[in-house]
Amino acid sequence: MLEKDILKEFQDVVGPEFIDDGDVMTNVYAYNWCTEFVNYMEGKEPIPFSPVPKAVILPSTTEEVQKIIKLCNKYKIKFKAQSTGLGPWNQPSTDNSIILDLRRMNKIVKIDEKNLYAVVESYVSGAQLQAEAMKYGLTVHMPGAGPMASPLASHTSMAGPGFTSPQTGHSARNVLGVEWVLPDGKIMRLGSLGQKNNPDWFIGDGPGPSLRGIMRGWVGAKSGIGVFTKVGIKLFPYPTDTKFVMTGHAPLYNFEKPDYIRAYVFDCKSWKGLEKIMLRVEEEEVGFIVSHISGLAVMAIFSYSIEGLMDKMALGVLKNPLLVVMGARTKREFDYKQMVMEDILTEYDLENIIDTKYVPEKVFYAECLRANLGYHGFIATGGFQSAKGQADAAALCLRAEKTNIPLKQKYIKKEAIANDFGEGAWMTSYEGGHFFHMESPTMFNQSDLKSVKGMANYMDESNKQDLIKHLGAPFFIEGDKLHDEWGPHMMNYHNWLRKIKAAFDPNGVADSGFYITAKKECENK
Amino acid sequence: MTTEHFPEQEYRRMIKMCLRCSVCKWIPQVQIKSQKYASCCPAMDIYDYHAYSGGGRIILALAYEMGRVKPSDDLLNIVYRCTECGNCAIACKYMNTLEPLEIIMKFREKLVKDGYGPMPQQKAYTEAMKKVNNPYNEPHEKRVDWLPSDIKVDPDAKLLYYVGCTSSYRRKEMAIAAARIMNAAGVPFNILKDDEFCCGSPVYRTGDVESFKVQLNKNLDVMESKGIETIIFSCAGCYDTFKVDYPLYREYNFEVLHTVEFFEQLIEEGKLKFTTEVPIMVTYHDPCHLGRTAERYEEWAGDELKLMPLVSINIPPKPKNIGAKGVYDAPRNILNKIPGLKLVEMERIMEYSYCCGAGAGVKSAFPDMAIRSSKNRIEEAEDSGANILVSACPFCSTNLQDGIKESGSKLKYYDISELILMALGLDPEKLIQATAGGA
Amino acid sequence: MNEIYQKLVKICGKKNLSNNPDLLKTYSEDCSYVSGKTPISIVWPKNSKQIEEILKLANSMGFSVISISSSSNVRYHGDTLPKKDNSVILNLSKMKNIVSIDRKNRVVMVEPGVTFAELIPKLKEKGLRLLLPLHPESDKSVLTSALKREPITIPRYHWDSSDPLLCTEVVFGTGDLFRTGTAAGPGTIKQQQKRGAAQVNPMGPTHFSPYRVIQGAQGSIGVVTWATVKLELLPTVQKVIHLQSENLQDLLDVQQILLKYRYADEIVILQNLNLACLVKIESSQIVELSNSLAKWNLIYVLSGRGKFANDKISYQENDINDLVQELKKEKLNNNSPINEKDILTALKEPTAFPWRSRLKGAYQDIFFITNFERIPEFVSIVEKMAQKNLGTYIQALNQGTSYYCEFDLFYDPGDESAIPGIKQNFMDISSKLIEAGAFFNRPYSLWAKEVFANHSEETITAFKKVKKIFDPNNILNPGVLCFDD
Repeated sequence: MLEKDILKEFQDVVGPEFIDDGDVMTNVYAYNWCTEFVNYMEGKEPIPFSPVPKAVILPSTTEEVQKIIKLCNKYKIKFKAQSTGLGPWNQPSTDNSIILDLRRMNKIVKIDEKNLYAVVESYVSGAQLQAEAMKYGLTVHMPGAGPMASPLASHTSMAGPGFTSPQTGHSARNVLGVEWVLPDGKIMRLGSLGQKNNPDWFIGDGPGPSLRGIMRGWVGAKSGIGVFTKVGIKLFPYPTDTKFVMTGHAPLYNFEKPDYIRAYVFDCKSWKGLEKIMLRVEEEEVGFIVSHISGLAVMAIFSYSIEGLMDKMALGVLKNPLLVVMGARTKREFDYKQMVMEDILTEYDLENIIDTKYVPEKVFYAECLRANLGYHGFIATGGFQSAKGQADAAALCLRAEKTNIPLKQKYIKKEAIANDFGEGAWMTSYEGGHFFHMESPTMFNQSDLKSVKGMANYMDESNKQDLIKHLGAPFFIEGDKLHDEWGPHMMNYHNWLRKIKAAFDPNGVADSGFYITAKKECENK
Repeated sequence: MTTEHFPEQEYRRMIKMCLRCSVCKWIPQVQIKSQKYASCCPAMDIYDYHAYSGGGRIILALAYEMGRVKPSDDLLNIVYRCTECGNCAIACKYMNTLEPLEIIMKFREKLVKDGYGPMPQQKAYTEAMKKVNNPYNEPHEKRVDWLPSDIKVDPDAKLLYYVGCTSSYRRKEMAIAAARIMNAAGVPFNILKDDEFCCGSPVYRTGDVESFKVQLNKNLDVMESKGIETIIFSCAGCYDTFKVDYPLYREYNFEVLHTVEFFEQLIEEGKLKFTTEVPIMVTYHDPCHLGRTAERYEEWAGDELKLMPLVSINIPPKPKNIGAKGVYDAPRNILNKIPGLKLVEMERIMEYSYCCGAGAGVKSAFPDMAIRSSKNRIEEAEDSGANILVSACPFCSTNLQDGIKESGSKLKYYDISELILMALGLDPEKLIQATAGGA
Repeated sequence: MNEIYQKLVKICGKKNLSNNPDLLKTYSEDCSYVSGKTPISIVWPKNSKQIEEILKLANSMGFSVISISSSSNVRYHGDTLPKKDNSVILNLSKMKNIVSIDRKNRVVMVEPGVTFAELIPKLKEKGLRLLLPLHPESDKSVLTSALKREPITIPRYHWDSSDPLLCTEVVFGTGDLFRTGTAAGPGTIKQQQKRGAAQVNPMGPTHFSPYRVIQGAQGSIGVVTWATVKLELLPTVQKVIHLQSENLQDLLDVQQILLKYRYADEIVILQNLNLACLVKIESSQIVELSNSLAKWNLIYVLSGRGKFANDKISYQENDINDLVQELKKEKLNNNSPINEKDILTALKEPTAFPWRSRLKGAYQDIFFITNFERIPEFVSIVEKMAQKNLGTYIQALNQGTSYYCEFDLFYDPGDESAIPGIKQNFMDISSKLIEAGAFFNRPYSLWAKEVFANHSEETITAFKKVKKIFDPNNILNPGVLCFDD
């Protein structure tokens, strides 16, 4: 709870109905998915609750966010901002924190058809933006988390791999103008948006250097460097026609499959083959989804229940599967792309199981177009989290995947995580195969203590393995402890990051549990 | 049912499993057609805090179970600001295996059992129900005041028209229309008059299961004593309660049908013939109780097979209520058969239809919330291009008409049975009203 | 000075150092109107270790360091002219190592001294190509071009405004060595490569992407000692489409459709004089060709590779025709008087004869970024203020989300009486454009003051904070951007 007079000052900013410091509300905001094993990894009790925030506040404008942050500086209260709010990184790291739920900042400021970008506030979801962009024949990059996640959060603050990455890139690289409330309460507008005359959203860099460089990096600062209130993000051509007609009932909606869409799943038979074929498919620029997923994951993306998953056991024998989904706007384009794919199949002696051994539900294609495939990961145990998350060349990603199998099997044997033969993986390519990322989705039971602890230990060991074996930096290297472990092995980046933190957050009010604190603050701890 | 459909053990397991993914705030992701009509939850749309979402309520249930939150006005004000429309559950269960609506209902049940719920206004209507058999606290003897003298009721008929409290006291036009339609079709039907009591839905949905059971037994005793074979409901709430909730506590062996199902049959059989053009453009609002929540629980007595550590499957698969078996086609088939009528759809329909905002005690405890939800739905109906909104539930009717009034909308509202009457040529005056100002 | 010289000798050896006054003098001027100071020394380091030591020395002894990479002595825009008296030129042109060319991962690792002319043939041998700025100068540094964010001509491969720059090794102003992106580790570059990494992800490490603050900083944040640069595969078949119109908007609309659906590789819009400069060398030929062209020219290239190259070009051509028809434009002239090969040369090859200097021997270029709608307005502003010898180049960037506009004022450097007028015109046009909201995202010397005066203070404060972190003593290229109050 906040002291009465402090609460009053916050109330004066947003109105009394949009701040709540009661036990009931603050406890709801203390919960998140995977918080239990993050707590355990940090030596705390493995419960799904983080420290309880002092209050939850719902601003509706950038100016309100600014005033809130100024008050946080005045009273040395930390703040944690969240949009759609999935995952432990939305949680405060201390009970001297308030949560800014940006739910009321939910406008699509514009869809600029000519300049091929959209400007959105925090609480517009990916599906919402896509639905509107489709009216112009366009789409947006959505993260693997799914279409319910906030594109603003994904683009400014949190990771950014997505299933359509071959043709829609990576969230961090699609950022244009940004409106950003810094931890000291100043509003910064990046690039062309910072001009005094005719500010606009079309570019986020300069004049001169690009402050996007301190904004998020690969994994995002998770509100540790301020609050992003609006962002310009690129739009991409929608891969096929935009009719999107759906009849019938959930979950197996009868989707009117567009004329020019086709899926391929084939076994590349070896790691080398997989790398070669994945690169080749990307060089040909034919797929809007080009993902390597494990045999079990192939079954999962076609399933809508655990029983359905087990029905598809036969599909699981694929050793090194690759999923390619191609779309086209015209018959000519479709014919060309099919011809190229057929040629690749012939050249590498590959067998497409789609429409031969297995006919997917029609709704599968809708999910491909709406980037909803990631959600299938929850089918088996109701919970999963990804280890890994390194991104560079395909070969590195595949090596990381291969190296992880025995480790994962060890935890499977301990019955801490579900048995995916140790193979669980999602690897996608970006920007026509210019780089790749791999993560290792791991199914566990978040309501089972043994599983939670096992998951935490597995994540920890997996991180350590990546460090020792030079397999790239995983997603979840965040927070002081891990930065202090990894920094010395990575050019002491943590020292530079701390300097940025100190310069931009002199009072250390932007909660940095999933970012980094300034050195001084660490020493105090 | 021989087994408890949502055992305590399941509740305790599930409240730890929310992914906090926010899927529950929107209609199924693949159904989203616009930003404006993507949301599915009236409470979230009005109150914004995550606690009001399906997921937020699951977290609250867990926090309560763990003793992290204590009973308080704050807690009740969140828990009861929910119409239990079940839209969050449809969105969640698209892929997940949680039961948000069951959790919401059970959490209320616990609060009542622990001596805290429901809200004062809801307690008052519960008392009224116990005293005068209706939550409106109207005299029981006036229950059949709606019945015009020219309507033929057959006391020996095995087909019962269960009118329900709202149609009896508040939406009499619906009761009259339903009765006249049956007369027109030459179908003998009975009504219970003094022996018709509240179905118990209003109290059941606030978590007062004990009071509900009393009501349920009272009703079923009457029905069984009269040898009723089929019951027709024009109230979606009563229909859902009889069809879905009663069997969870006591089996019965009569058939239950909503009027739209029954009238569709009569049209098919040629017993109802539309003779009059009704040149209007309408949009149809799926009542929650006739749609997604009107799926009967199927008994499952299979085995849970542990395939491997942490992964089990059910053999045979446990039936999953995901709204697919609601009554969606019947009202649309009827509307499409009315000569001259054009049906246009809103964006949120069928199992992901947006709630009118009145249900589960909200209309009485939080009238402002009910009106605000209704206004959201009215706007969506207006955006469909229709100038008439039609539905099949007296409770939706009341709240949507209140919303029309409050928002100053030009939309007109009719129950589907009133449109049938017009098409049968039995209500020319209403037809003139409906078509006034152009279709 | 002597002491600095002696210490530099210790670091780099005498033969890699020069105090020759004549040579020093050449570093005090360039093709811009900026006046520079004469540096005290020029040093040609060989490796990052030497650069680290030089920068540490600069911090301790208080001299400035201006890095230069291109081997050409022709420099533009004033950004490498010393602004302080005690400046040392860090000439990286001898760091010429092409560290690796990786066909599989479509990436090349180069040191700063590697030029377009040196690299392009090597890449061709492996079936690869660079993402080029328009007809770059042969002896221009590939790395510098990327660090300057020079516009590339294939908008659909311009995935991020930072492309084609990927990972870098950099010595910050503090003298500390760093590697950006996945090159940061864990592990050395060798260890990373052993595991399959290719330094192709520029983002990171973790929560920041320092390469973005190095890029566009005009050498004021760090000195890049090598970088990985993104490559594409070399097409085997290319078809050039050249559309002419007197109406700029017509061509803008057509290219917008290409961008929307990501058709075509190279897409450029050139005013007739600029197009003629690109394909002809002699002034008279340029004028002749220019006069035969419509005022505005859209050039786009359809490319294919391998077995189905022609099929790809054919489907794209047909699809584009359908889309263009839907635009209902009056028929656009697609009869090009220019040989397709000449156009491709300008788009694919470097040149020893800087194309902007071909008409009159010299030029001043004014360039900025804007959006689709405002291009004609800016063109009109410039055309009103410069009626003669004006060349215009419009380049869609970053997946078609913004546009680079370049206006070239061609003049005869021998006509000294005309030069003050040109300079005045250059400054007047620039000011007018800045005032109208043209975004000068690469604010070189003469523009910097005005550009930053027209930019939000919060951004400038943030830039200064960043500068303070990476170059606290302001030893790197002082006087550029907004770093000197």
